[in-house]
Amino acid sequence: MNFWETITGSDLTREFKAFEARAGALPADYRAAWNQIKFQLLPYGNFTGRNLMPVLDSALGLLEQTAADGQGIHDVLGDDIPGFCAALAGGEGARSYRDRWREQLNRNVARKLGRLGG
Amino acid sequence: MGIQDIIEGKKQWRAHVARVKALPRDYQIVYQEMQKYFFKVGPVDLTEGNLLSGIVDFFEEGAAAGTGVLELIGDDVAAFCDDLIKDSRTYAEIYQESISKESGKAK
Amino acid sequence: MVDDLREMLKGTLEGCVLEIIGNEETYGYAITRRLNELGFADVIEGTVYTILLRLEKNGLVQVTKRPSEMGPPRKFYALNDAGREELGRFWAKWEYLSSRIDKLREGGR
Repeated sequence: MNFWETITGSDLTREFKAFEARAGALPADYRAAWNQIKFQLLPYGNFTGRNLMPVLDSALGLLEQTAADGQGIHDVLGDDIPGFCAALAGGEGARSYRDRWREQLNRNVARKLGRLGG
Repeated sequence: MGIQDIIEGKKQWRAHVARVKALPRDYQIVYQEMQKYFFKVGPVDLTEGNLLSGIVDFFEEGAAAGTGVLELIGDDVAAFCDDLIKDSRTYAEIYQESISKESGKAK
Repeated sequence: MVDDLREMLKGTLEGCVLEIIGNEETYGYAITRRLNELGFADVIEGTVYTILLRLEKNGLVQVTKRPSEMGPPRKFYALNDAGREELGRFWAKWEYLSSRIDKLREGGR
């Protein structure tokens, strides 16, 4: 039994395997970020894993999209991966992170539309 | 259409991506940034509703009418996004609730 | 003044949209134009879209896709029974609110 199975119960391993398969297709720096996100999310309470699955799913979706965009991982996650993960899991600081995401969204839109020469 | 479909590269998702690519450039940019934001916030509608395909429907109509994307949804794209998911719970919220329930049980 | 109006309008815009749809089956762009003509100049299509989405989710409207002369098919909205009830509740609330506020201005109790 691997680490994840121990934590989550083996009924979830199929889903985890699917995650890992997707993560395997990411560029190396993204893959590293994915591993860090997984472990950062672990300590959130006494979770069974099941409720955390959609959070992980969403995080992986984000990595996939930004990798496809050719964006640097640093632009996506910033310096504070633990803080980012806390926000993903809705823990402490989630609110201020969401504000930051809002600002990031509007800033990116303004910058990219500006570059378009609009 | 959910993240599950994105994962598996299902036909439905590929068709969705193709529709996004057919939008004018300004619409594409805004769509991509919105999608990124939704992945971070994690609203349940992302997998259980048709949030994303609904946006593309709406954007296609706007583009066909020759409206600029910010003219359509306003300058504050984040506010527009939040409005779209106002009634949708997020995965993080559900997760937090499950934790507090479990710790309640343990006591 | 327009900014003030926006804040005040926020809670009632959904009712306005219900009323417009209640008159005849219509679509987002036309609803926005109707509101603009009415004097709500800064209501944009995106705002109306988020309202329509909510109405649809709450099961208050019937949505039909119809082909349009140009571009993709359009989503047309009509009220269903639940929508008509909601509209009735909106006007009842509105009457209550406005009568109280009028009273306040008249200095009554």
